[in-house]
Amino acid sequence: MTDFFYNHLHVYLFVALFLLVSGILGLVYRRTLIGMLVAMELIMNGAGLNLVALNRFIAVENATGMAFTLIIMGIAAAEAAIALGIIILIFRKYRHVEGAELQEMKD
Amino acid sequence: MSIGDLLFLFIVGVTLAGALAAVLAGSIVYALMGLVVTMFGVAGLYVYLHSPFLAMVQILIYVGAITVLIAFAIMLIGPQYRRPKEWTTLGKLGAAAGVAVVTLGLFVKFVMEVFPRTKAPAFTVTTKQIGALFFKDLVLPFELISLLIVVAILGAIMLALFARGDK
Repeated sequence: MTDFFYNHLHVYLFVALFLLVSGILGLVYRRTLIGMLVAMELIMNGAGLNLVALNRFIAVENATGMAFTLIIMGIAAAEAAIALGIIILIFRKYRHVEGAELQEMKD
Repeated sequence: MSIGDLLFLFIVGVTLAGALAAVLAGSIVYALMGLVVTMFGVAGLYVYLHSPFLAMVQILIYVGAITVLIAFAIMLIGPQYRRPKEWTTLGKLGAAAGVAVVTLGLFVKFVMEVFPRTKAPAFTVTTKQIGALFFKDLVLPFELISLLIVVAILGAIMLALFARGDK
């Protein structure tokens, strides 16, 4: 009766691993910078889920994993803001946002 | 199989489907919707992991802030956006199968061996303890996060200012 699915660590780890692998696939597969940013957010979500799941099942006596997940969220917000600013600059300059065609850094 | 179990399996399925949609959708707007679905699913998993505070923060920051930011960027880039060539449907199916196989392989090979199946221990950490942790042990990372966000705001403003002149 107590053997619920949501009481198993492996389910959460599987979801987190799936988010990581599909995020890596997205980084390879997408050609535009925004698509790559979306894939990056998937990877960060997977990392956060991993930390919280391990905190709940392995290290039950403290809340360090949750705190680190909160820190990851803050970093993800800052990273997304800067990355989107740079993407919009690239679009203004080159009129496209395809990663493979950006071959020069300055002017 | 109880109602909580069914709901949990539904949330897991929605999360996985949303992740695949975020990666494989042809239109970037659909990809963004897939990302939103995935983030809501992860928030639901946080609720099942006894951390409702993290679930609320996840919805607030990821769904409320980051996806709106990405949506703004898509809207700004929108009309002149040359649509790059994507893969064919067969290629997408192959990629999805590849993701599933790699995930399952890594899972069976490493995760199942490293983390044994044990009974779930009782979990009593509350939101109050998270707050206490931030104000006692993790003061320096907390302040560094605020510094990082200030620098990010200033950097975004400078990018917008200096880019206005040349076109």
